[in-house]
Amino acid sequence: MTRHLLPRSPAVTPAELAEQALTRARHPVARLVSLAEDGRSGASAIYDEAMAVLEADAERRNHTARVIGVTGSPGSGKSSLLSRVANAMVAADPDLTVAVVAVDPSSPSSGGALLGDRTRMVVDTAQNRIYFRSQASATALGGLAPTTFQVCRALSLIFKCVIVETVGVGQSEADVRHLADRVFLVVAPLSGDEIQYLKAGIIEVPDAFVVNKSDEPAATRTYHQLRGSLWLARPSDAHDIPIYRTSAKTGRGIDELARDFLTIVTAENATPVRERAPHFFTAWVRDEWGRVGARHLAEQLGGARAFLATQNGFASARRSFDASIRAALHG
Amino acid sequence: MQQSTLDEAVVGKPEEKAPQPHQIVGADGKATRDKPWIIRTYAGHSSAKASNELYRSNLSRGQTGLSIAFDLATQCGYDSDDSIARPEVGKVGVPINSLDDFHVLFDQIPIEEMNTSMTINGTAMWLLSLYVALARERGVDLKKLAGTTQNDLIKEYLARGTYIFPPDASLRIIAEMYEFCLEEIPNWNASNICSYHLQEAGATPVQELSFALANAIGLLDLLKKRGKFTTRQFEKAVGRISFFVNAGMRFVEEMCKMRAFAELWTEITRERYGVTDERYTRFRYGVQVNSLGLTEVQPENNAWRILIEALGVTLSRDARCRALQLPAWNEALSLPRPWDQQWSLRLQQIFAYETDLLEYPDLFTGSAVIESKVNALKTQAKEEIDRILGMGGVVGAIENGYMKSALVRSMSERVSRINNGEQVVVGLNKWTDGIPSPLVGGDDGGLFILDDSATSDTLDNLEKVRRNRDPERVKAAIAALKDAAHSGDSMMEPSIECALARVTTGEWAHALRQVFGEYRPSTGVDGQRLGLTGNRVDALRARIDALVDTLGHRPRIVVGKPGLDGHSNGAEVIAVSARHVGFDVIYSGIRLSAEEIVRSAVEEGADLIGASVLSGSHVELAAQIMGGLKAEGADQAIKVVVGGIIPIPDIAKLQALGVMKVFTPSDYDLLDIMESVVGLLEEQP
Repeated sequence: MTRHLLPRSPAVTPAELAEQALTRARHPVARLVSLAEDGRSGASAIYDEAMAVLEADAERRNHTARVIGVTGSPGSGKSSLLSRVANAMVAADPDLTVAVVAVDPSSPSSGGALLGDRTRMVVDTAQNRIYFRSQASATALGGLAPTTFQVCRALSLIFKCVIVETVGVGQSEADVRHLADRVFLVVAPLSGDEIQYLKAGIIEVPDAFVVNKSDEPAATRTYHQLRGSLWLARPSDAHDIPIYRTSAKTGRGIDELARDFLTIVTAENATPVRERAPHFFTAWVRDEWGRVGARHLAEQLGGARAFLATQNGFASARRSFDASIRAALHG
Repeated sequence: MQQSTLDEAVVGKPEEKAPQPHQIVGADGKATRDKPWIIRTYAGHSSAKASNELYRSNLSRGQTGLSIAFDLATQCGYDSDDSIARPEVGKVGVPINSLDDFHVLFDQIPIEEMNTSMTINGTAMWLLSLYVALARERGVDLKKLAGTTQNDLIKEYLARGTYIFPPDASLRIIAEMYEFCLEEIPNWNASNICSYHLQEAGATPVQELSFALANAIGLLDLLKKRGKFTTRQFEKAVGRISFFVNAGMRFVEEMCKMRAFAELWTEITRERYGVTDERYTRFRYGVQVNSLGLTEVQPENNAWRILIEALGVTLSRDARCRALQLPAWNEALSLPRPWDQQWSLRLQQIFAYETDLLEYPDLFTGSAVIESKVNALKTQAKEEIDRILGMGGVVGAIENGYMKSALVRSMSERVSRINNGEQVVVGLNKWTDGIPSPLVGGDDGGLFILDDSATSDTLDNLEKVRRNRDPERVKAAIAALKDAAHSGDSMMEPSIECALARVTTGEWAHALRQVFGEYRPSTGVDGQRLGLTGNRVDALRARIDALVDTLGHRPRIVVGKPGLDGHSNGAEVIAVSARHVGFDVIYSGIRLSAEEIVRSAVEEGADLIGASVLSGSHVELAAQIMGGLKAEGADQAIKVVVGGIIPIPDIAKLQALGVMKVFTPSDYDLLDIMESVVGLLEEQP
């Protein structure tokens, strides 16, 4: 079967889909996200059209969302933790709406993925204040999926807070850094070796740490080791980096973490997610066209920011970039 | 020896001769015959009243013990009128909401003469409290009560799924029950260490041995650490540990497994716990034989399978079961009817009373073949026990997902072996042509048809209890229960007071949920690989890659277990195989409401929901799913298939609801199922 780009019964236009999604009704929001992920030709034009409606609406309402990145290894218990935190957030703030995007690794052999420990996120089924979506990373290591940026951008025009959950170490944290206002690294109580491993790289990325499963005996030691390592790795800001101690099991630290997430959401001077487009556009170009593409973008088109300013949207920018570089290479 | 028997017959006074090696010697030094094991049938359905009638009729037919099946609402700690419980009331067992239901359930049954086994786990303390309260109101001496509460939460986390609380709280509850029972109800088994459900979930004999024994070690270590027993009492507590095991078709190996179990247990009790009194080192166990190997196709063949499975746990006197339950031939089709249960009961009676089995000492002592096999099993089991103890024991090996993953792997391997014909299942993957069975030809199609009006009886009684009780006493009883839970005092007496005050099952469980929280264990599907390869897998992957282009995304399916049924093995194998052929799969474990499954399918932009239901409530749950999709406006976008123990007449009902495809136990070939699902997605909407 060919899945139609837009629902057929009843038939809707891209603008109508955007309007429906703004009510946070689950099915239209899900269709919009699917559109952002859709690899077929024809999808990107519809996505851009719907996004234009959403952008205009956001501007009218003066709506800006915050993006929070949460990353950590598979055993760290992020999913259960986030479900508790998201629930605590919407319970504390009756106007808050939250979208969670969880990125899971794909199988290298079949391409399939087991997605999500979709731990129950339900609070208020009537108001649709929490939306949860899983993405397959399309790589075995985790990190962001190629379309995570566009999905988050769409969700950021509908929800007030977008939480991006990623798996893996190294590259992926660096990537989420470009998407999120704040990045939290969740660790389970660790062995000494793992602390060393942390020190080797990612300790420099996060804005805050969460020692989860703090009900376990090793948690206290981990906390102090982490604190100590921060003094060595980041002497300039070690003092200010929060380390939360949480337990989804006992509920410890959940409210505190939720409060901190809420202060991020209400902070002044948010960067709208679209401002982050140049980084992800450059990443896409490099993915698709390699060094040749990156040079073309920088030298012929004046860089991602300037180029995007001349375009009608992220997806159509990709189409015109394709056309432009093809012309340059074959012309 | 043959000669001497003949002589005795001629002389006619065998009791005056010295017993021979082939004879069993009684306490009086004379030749005797063993007493048969306790003969039971696992039963209960519809309502307390209907189940009471069933028990009395089974007892009148010569059954010697009771084995009570509770419905899933009772097992998971919900009142019958709770919305998640409604589809399940009376389906797989009897619903019990309060002490008044127990009065009906045991009406005219002398509990002081019964050996009563209750298959109850998450709410075991509650059901024992109800039984104690019943005895107190009837004026029966607790010392005369005998029986078992199954109460093994470890295997619930691994296989059966009716846990409520996290491991620490669950183990505390079990320990408190041992501490209460030891002096108060000395003939009560506070728990059964179960390997039964592990085999149903795919466990190999070595896994059954090692997981169950590690479980028993965990329990005894805990009892010792809590320090409530004197040395003498602790020895007695060791003697109260009993097991509930499974027996499958490979009956020689199964018999060796039972001998290995007995020998290992005696070693553990002596060496690890220093028990010297021989009575307390004996391996005591009851059995329900295997249902996993029973087939929906040619169901009459199951009668032979059940007979053969019974051999493994009865033939060898040194490792013979204390109590035996046999399933019915039509278990893969539906719940058994009273006649089906009677047929299984008769098999036991014929075996115990018509044959000469119980006249002989152990038949296998001295057999080199048996001894070697037993030793091999023991060696491997000991290695595995050490590995589990190295992870911090069974709780560690549950929390890190080790045991669950091992079971999912064993199950996947078993299914692969049946798929590729390496493991023969007659009628299923070999000799599949047969004459239609006359056994399923009657008006009822050989199926048990539940009486829907029984549910309204149950709900009316629940209403009545709530109306007539003393609300102040209820409030005080619940508060005292929560206080004990918080402070670490024993919750047994407060629970008994709750029972006497007519607190309901849901209220009891809810009070403790507030204190302990609810638990969600690892699903075990992460990182699993399947052995399936070959052209069909390649072809499926190619078709799914083609779907990525036509759908615009990799096809996504939600594998869901709606309702309270916790038998997750089938759903897990499906989730693992779907990923194996290239689907994106969303699986969140058991006990989700239909609403939660719909919600995740819609939010995730899934193409299909596959719901697995084994509790008999498939029609109600499918209706809830279809209604939910419609309400979200997603019924055109998301297709629904259902799998489980679905009686044939119900298939049309499901299709009428809009279910696109129904899979039953005869659809055992995973690749057939995958091809069928891919086919559905390839069709025009």
